[in-house]
Amino acid sequence: MKIEQKLILSNVMYGVVIVLIGLFAFDNMNLVMTKLRFVEIADDLNASFLVMRLSEKNYFLHHDRAELNDILQKIEQTKQSIQDVREDIVKAIGSDELARLEAYLTAYGAAIERAASHGDGGPDEEALIRIEGKRLKEFSKSITQMERGRMNDIILGSKRILVISFSAILFVALLLGHFISQKILRSLREIEKLAHSISEGNFNRIEGFKTKDELGSVITAINSMSEELAHREEQILQSKKLASLGILTAGVAHEITNPLNNISMIAQTSQEISASLSESDHLDLMRKIDAETERIRKIVKNLLDFSKPKEAHPKESNINDVIRKTLTLVQNMIDIQNIETVINLEKDLPRLFIDGHQIQQVFVNLVTNAVQAMQPGGRLYIASRHGKGRESVEVTVMDTGKGIPPEYLPHIFDPFFSTKGEGGTGLGLSVSYGIIRNHKGEIRVESKVGVGTTFTVELPVQVRGLRTDEVIAPEESETVGKA
Amino acid sequence: MEKSRIMVIDDEKIVGDMAKMSLEQEGYEVETFLNAEPALERLKEKRFDVVVTDYKMKGIDGMEVLRTVKRDYPGTAVIMITAFANLDAAIEALRGDVHDFFPKPVKIKELKASIKRALEKELAAK
Repeated sequence: MKIEQKLILSNVMYGVVIVLIGLFAFDNMNLVMTKLRFVEIADDLNASFLVMRLSEKNYFLHHDRAELNDILQKIEQTKQSIQDVREDIVKAIGSDELARLEAYLTAYGAAIERAASHGDGGPDEEALIRIEGKRLKEFSKSITQMERGRMNDIILGSKRILVISFSAILFVALLLGHFISQKILRSLREIEKLAHSISEGNFNRIEGFKTKDELGSVITAINSMSEELAHREEQILQSKKLASLGILTAGVAHEITNPLNNISMIAQTSQEISASLSESDHLDLMRKIDAETERIRKIVKNLLDFSKPKEAHPKESNINDVIRKTLTLVQNMIDIQNIETVINLEKDLPRLFIDGHQIQQVFVNLVTNAVQAMQPGGRLYIASRHGKGRESVEVTVMDTGKGIPPEYLPHIFDPFFSTKGEGGTGLGLSVSYGIIRNHKGEIRVESKVGVGTTFTVELPVQVRGLRTDEVIAPEESETVGKA
Repeated sequence: MEKSRIMVIDDEKIVGDMAKMSLEQEGYEVETFLNAEPALERLKEKRFDVVVTDYKMKGIDGMEVLRTVKRDYPGTAVIMITAFANLDAAIEALRGDVHDFFPKPVKIKELKASIKRALEKELAAK
């Protein structure tokens, strides 16, 4: 469950970080509000001090003691105000600074009182008033400025931190998201490739993906599915073989009936008219029986070979060499039939991992069929080339013979399907088909009646898992014998 | 009396040869063919009493021989022999008015007996 955990974890992380930032912002805002509140109060205080200053000035001008009383009143008011908002002030500037403020205020008040009680204030008293007053106001002003400045700093600081942290979160989120999704996408791409190759009938596995998360388990599941499919395919192949075995058996039974009948009729006749037969006649009949038993032997052998798997012994081979060997084998037949051959073998084809003997058998089969389909003077065209995407090699065998009607084409590789009558057992193409399929290749046919037929064999360059216990092939090619 | 003439059509040469040897011993005149085409041509030239034909052949097959003979030479009996012995084939041939039907391997004695019956039938019909 690792990916799910990772995702949950990262989501929780984001959540926590965002909450933290939120708290931080909220906290800052409270701080700012406190400062703001103080600045409000301070402005009020400063306004009061201004009024006091004014009265002070008036007093110095007119020496009206009433002004002094006003000031004292004002001071009381101010002290009262300060009391009222004591908490807010302390929150903003701290109790030490407030104490200092109050001390200065008190000192100022004391100075005013001295002047008031001494009747006409002497210059000393006036000087004191001025000094205390100044001190008070300057202190107040400086605190106010400081707090304003602090407030600005806090706001600026908040802005900066918010921007930075949001950028950081965004960056991390993108990075993390990128990594996680890349990992997932990479695994998905592997799975997609595998699924695609499975759909084409290649049951491979994904190896080396030992992650213990959801993708790992998907890959494990797909691997076992692939194995299962390969297993099923083998089963299907087996049952298909059994089915064709059924057809084969029926075909063989039918094929055997004629030679058996021949032997029977010879034996019956030989007994019936024995007297009228000469020695050489008898011998002749025995020879005929022998020939028929040979026929039966071949038919039975083909059946046994078809049902008994024959191992392929693959090794690295050059397909053009196989083609050339085929041609030497069938050259005689080609010459007798007066067939013109055009050979076009592409150079530098990749070497294939094949059982050369079996592939040669396939080519002999195809060439033989081609020659037998043509009249004398026909043309046989054999070519080899790179296959699609250079992942395979293609060999075509084309003739200018009578062609195959379209309704027969789907059955052309069926066992016992033959358009040749006595000429063949109908096993040649089905055996060839089996050999090519075992090499993980393809064999295709195209044909037009009256024009000719083309067989194309495609063999892969890389063969993984060549099954060496399933190939079917008769030891002697009956079609070569017939030629 | 003129010898009865038997025609044997089968793509297996030995069938014709052995049938000829056995039947000639009975005093029949026998002609053998490997394909139905030349056989049917020959029928136009000469009259045959019995035609013994294989059921399944390339080109013109046994059933077509049966139809042709029954249509053009109604007095000639047709006997079918076959490696392909199934019920449908037998019924088809029966309906085509075949005289007899032998699965391979053929017992020559039985074939001879069947030919004899066919000739007797023809004689009675005349």
